[in-house]
Amino acid sequence: MNPVVEPAGGLFRLSLKDALFIGFCAVFAVLARMMLRLHLHISGHAMLVTAFFLLLARGSVRYRFAASFAGLLAGSASIFLGFAKSGPFMLVKYLAVALVIDLAGLLMPNLFRNYFWCALVGGFAGATKFFTAYSVNFLAGMDRTVNFQASLLEAAGAILFGVLGGLLVPVVLRRLHAYGVIS
Amino acid sequence: MNLGKLLSVRKVSLPAVSLEGPAPAGDAKWVGLRMLSALTLSCLAFAARTVPFLLVLTAVNLALLWYLGSGHLSLRRELKAFAWQTLVILLLYLIRFQNLTGLWDGFQISWQLFLALLPSMVFVRSTSQTRIVQALNRVMPCRMAFVLSTCLKFAPHLLAEVRCIYEGQVLRGARILPRDLVKPWHWFDLLHCVVVPSVVQSMALAGNIALAARARDFGCRTKRSCWPGL
Repeated sequence: MNPVVEPAGGLFRLSLKDALFIGFCAVFAVLARMMLRLHLHISGHAMLVTAFFLLLARGSVRYRFAASFAGLLAGSASIFLGFAKSGPFMLVKYLAVALVIDLAGLLMPNLFRNYFWCALVGGFAGATKFFTAYSVNFLAGMDRTVNFQASLLEAAGAILFGVLGGLLVPVVLRRLHAYGVIS
Repeated sequence: MNLGKLLSVRKVSLPAVSLEGPAPAGDAKWVGLRMLSALTLSCLAFAARTVPFLLVLTAVNLALLWYLGSGHLSLRRELKAFAWQTLVILLLYLIRFQNLTGLWDGFQISWQLFLALLPSMVFVRSTSQTRIVQALNRVMPCRMAFVLSTCLKFAPHLLAEVRCIYEGQVLRGARILPRDLVKPWHWFDLLHCVVVPSVVQSMALAGNIALAARARDFGCRTKRSCWPGL
């Protein structure tokens, strides 16, 4: 028996509708990054969109690994859309951010309605930029001190924009809740 | 006033939704081979520490670019990013070592990082999206491949809807034109007037696609069957 209307997804089960919504969040994250790539040359401003959409994906779906799924999809999509600035490492970058969000969601399921916790998680998600930037440069064989400084510079921007992206999430989730779109 | 022109901050070139005929089985293998070679070349760029190695790798990359792109690919944007990245790295090396000898090392690093991104960029620009997704179906779980390909296919549709919402809100008097967005206190208008309706719209679209897929018995079998292609 295959009822046409699928039962809603839960903590452990991802329904097709939720999976597609997460996919759209991932595609939005990649496209917004492409469209709004302002010529500011402030490192880390892309983290605003990444943190926002991954937090949104996790916040509006009950599934526990929603952000990781979104990160995986966003990484693959950015590779296919030709926007992978650092090649296959794009996947790792998205996944690192997503894992932080999923872990936080696992520890505190209600954090997505709270400004402070969202900002904090956004900041931590931005901080993963340090490790990804450091490891890419390390693999390329950059001098250790220069690498540390360069990665720190990038991570500082990413943390700032991650916090900003996190702050936007409760506003949107409250509106969605008010419309009755999410439970 | 051409609102569409105002909206497009930067032109996004999405891969066209192609309606190509059934792909021969060998074609998917060929795409997979190209994907693998692009990944290998990217990884090799990190292993290249000497100048001759780097030169050989650059030559291989350029040959690949010439062979796959047949002269239609423009590297302008990538070269710009390369120049900017080189400038930052050279500056940091100059601060660290306080002399000019470190500059060459810095340039080499920047060259390596550029070679790491070039192959995947060439691959994506020269291969149709349908072919990539078909090759992907072989390595990814079928549900994830379906979600990814569907989302990429519907992305232009969704973007058009977002554009409609934006234009409607501008006509209603929302202060979200680019000249208004220069002032940061108008950014919340953008959030309330464009982002929230867009998210609601994408949720509705996801619901409709899921319903359509279920009505076509999606998920009944573990192995995915699709048309055209595999």
